[in-house]
Amino acid sequence: MSSEKFAELLWAEKYRPRSLKELVNQEEIVKRLMKFVEEKNMPHLLFAGPPGTGKTTTALALAHDLYGDEWRKYVLELNASDERGIAVIRTKVKEFARSKLPGDVPFKIVLLDEADNMTADAQQALRRLMEMYVETTRFILIANYPSKIIEPIQSRCAVFRFTPLKKEDVVSRLKWICQQENVVCHDDALDVIYEIASGDMRKAINILQAAAALGEVTVAHVYKVVGLAHPKEVREIIQLALAGKFIEARDKLRTLMVNYGISGTDILKQMHREVFSADLKIPEEARVDLADYIGEIQFRIVEGADDEIQLTALLAKMSLLGKKIGFTL
Amino acid sequence: MTDREAKLPWVIKYRPKRIAEVVDQEEAKAKFVEWLRRWPNVPKRAALLYGPPGCGKTSLVEAAANEFGYEVIEMNASDFRRKTDIERIAKRAATTASLFGTSKKKLILLDEVDGIAGREDLGGLEAIIQLIKISPSPIVMTANDPWDQRLKPLRDVSELIQFKRLPKRDVVRVLKMICQKEGLVCEEQALEYIAERSEGDLRSAINDLQAVGEGYGKVTLSLVRELVKPRDREHDPFETLRNIFSARYAWQAKLALSQSQLDYDQAKLWLLENIPLQYTDPEDRARALEALSKADVYLGRIIRTGDWGLLAYAIDLMTAGVALAARNNPRDKYRWVKYSFPQRLLLLSRTKELRSIRDDIAKIVASHMHISMSQAKSEVLPLLMAIFRSNPEYAARIAVGIGLSEKMIEYLAGPAKGEVLAHYRKLKEAIKKEAEERAVSKMISGAASPATTESKSLQQRSSSKRKRKKEGTTTSLLSFAKKK
Repeated sequence: MSSEKFAELLWAEKYRPRSLKELVNQEEIVKRLMKFVEEKNMPHLLFAGPPGTGKTTTALALAHDLYGDEWRKYVLELNASDERGIAVIRTKVKEFARSKLPGDVPFKIVLLDEADNMTADAQQALRRLMEMYVETTRFILIANYPSKIIEPIQSRCAVFRFTPLKKEDVVSRLKWICQQENVVCHDDALDVIYEIASGDMRKAINILQAAAALGEVTVAHVYKVVGLAHPKEVREIIQLALAGKFIEARDKLRTLMVNYGISGTDILKQMHREVFSADLKIPEEARVDLADYIGEIQFRIVEGADDEIQLTALLAKMSLLGKKIGFTL
Repeated sequence: MTDREAKLPWVIKYRPKRIAEVVDQEEAKAKFVEWLRRWPNVPKRAALLYGPPGCGKTSLVEAAANEFGYEVIEMNASDFRRKTDIERIAKRAATTASLFGTSKKKLILLDEVDGIAGREDLGGLEAIIQLIKISPSPIVMTANDPWDQRLKPLRDVSELIQFKRLPKRDVVRVLKMICQKEGLVCEEQALEYIAERSEGDLRSAINDLQAVGEGYGKVTLSLVRELVKPRDREHDPFETLRNIFSARYAWQAKLALSQSQLDYDQAKLWLLENIPLQYTDPEDRARALEALSKADVYLGRIIRTGDWGLLAYAIDLMTAGVALAARNNPRDKYRWVKYSFPQRLLLLSRTKELRSIRDDIAKIVASHMHISMSQAKSEVLPLLMAIFRSNPEYAARIAVGIGLSEKMIEYLAGPAKGEVLAHYRKLKEAIKKEAEERAVSKMISGAASPATTESKSLQQRSSSKRKRKKEGTTTSLLSFAKKK
């Protein structure tokens, strides 16, 4: 790796706590995990909680504390939403679990992120893997929604629930990073970052770094990077749809999805933000109606439906509403 | 005739109620009736009725069940995916008292079992064989082509009963009878034409007759020549769309998809593209898209849960739901529209290269930050773009730090790519130089083991450089911090 003078990392990674001792929150969880390290034994684990609350960090720190600096040798990291199908996972896990255990290591770890994105069938197959290799391999499953993990897996795991980070925890960490990086930061800007990231530490640090790249971390810079990252097209799409220019709105939406590669859920989140922005001139009741539509569509996408179909149906409903309230551009 | 009756498809309205009414197939009838009468004292516990489509297989089962006092429980073979399904069905068949207090005997009808031979997993086949073994009711299956190698285990446990293609004269006879009952004026030649085209498929012949007869009130040769298409080919996407949109009855819309080259996943995209073109009224459009949206939710649930029983609802919504959405402006249904190919597919192929670069960046970021590629794409890439377009010097250092290629830099930096690349190349140059210097200093210090003044000074220099390196980071960070 080239020296720091020439290279910079992403801060979320650069300042990720390496050991359980460095973790400042989720104290209860950390305490129980340290016990596992002490005993050099643990059951399968399921870490559940919202994004950016330290699930992956905790898992990696646990591995670090168990195995020391060489931990990567004993950990297989998989992301269920990237590894296509259970077949790939099965092959990789099998290969990994079969390789011999070095004398002083009691077991190896398979870290499976976003496990709740697996289909029920794939989870059944995963359950069998967990049983088959339990002698040599422990699984740490990470999930946003534990309810999407099938019962038989849940019952085989010690479940740890991660709670959203408190504001002071996030803000003090951001401040600390700014000190390390010698970046000037303003308190109100950190407040805004927290609001946008809403308890998601990784997101907060990502925004911090991008804002810092503009100079000081100020409120204006935070909004600027978030704005750059969230194209103004979303507002235009809503306005076109409300004005009954359905086909134009649809075409813009499609370009946004294909060219920027933004997922349907992200577009919905931005739409939701726009709906309550003062720049959108609509009656207050219409904001509530729109929020209702958007929420329903997000629910359908989470259920596994197709982004474009769902968003197009949403635009059609917006057009109807626009007609009712007499919206014009 | 009541209104409700008028809307029934004629294939259902004129379905035979008695065995004798089933057209032709005397041999099959005799064999099947004998088997059913003796059940369960038969060598094979299941019957497999096979033959070309529309030749009376299902009709015979229903007519026979009617005469023998069986209640038919109809299942689609694709419902059989898992063992639990079988148990559920078997239980249902075993409970003799039905909801309405009658205690009719049950007969399980599995339509189109040959469909499962083409499927990837043959778990369904095993499940059916299991069901045959344990079922307290007779099981009757139908198939067009039972001779697939993979269906052998099923053939082994079934009484095979062959149905023959219907002769043209029998098809004409039935059509004539329906014309009389419906009070339609029909030209003999027109009926001959329909029968000819149906190739012995009575169901399709009746459907064709209804399409012409209901739409025009008479059946003439010139009309059927224009309207009735041969059955031996599937409809292309454009015909499929036209048939779905113009369908007046739910069954017509459903039929349109079943006769299409498109499978439901493709049809979904074609409908998405063309609903806004066909329907101009905002309410109709929203209604049609809502139906498609709900169909899509079912399809998503099928993938998640593996419950293929939901497919029927998805298809209902995306065909009938879309066809019957034009309530404010029903004329739109028949409007001639130049249909469009799904643009998403075109866009995707046009932007293939860009997307693959984006995916490569996402992969690097994902493994660097221990997140998924989709998270990298939606959460991190937009912020990287913001950095790359506003601070080229800093961006270049990130590019070096996480190992991005020049192509990736171009993608992220967009209009600022020139500047970022210039910085990036400078950095690469400097790294190379430093590595060379280090190698040289190693060589010198290794060659002259007693510390000469020269090597000492080199060592000193390198240690002081290390010190500066640290300061360098701070100052460079400060420098951009001060810039604005």
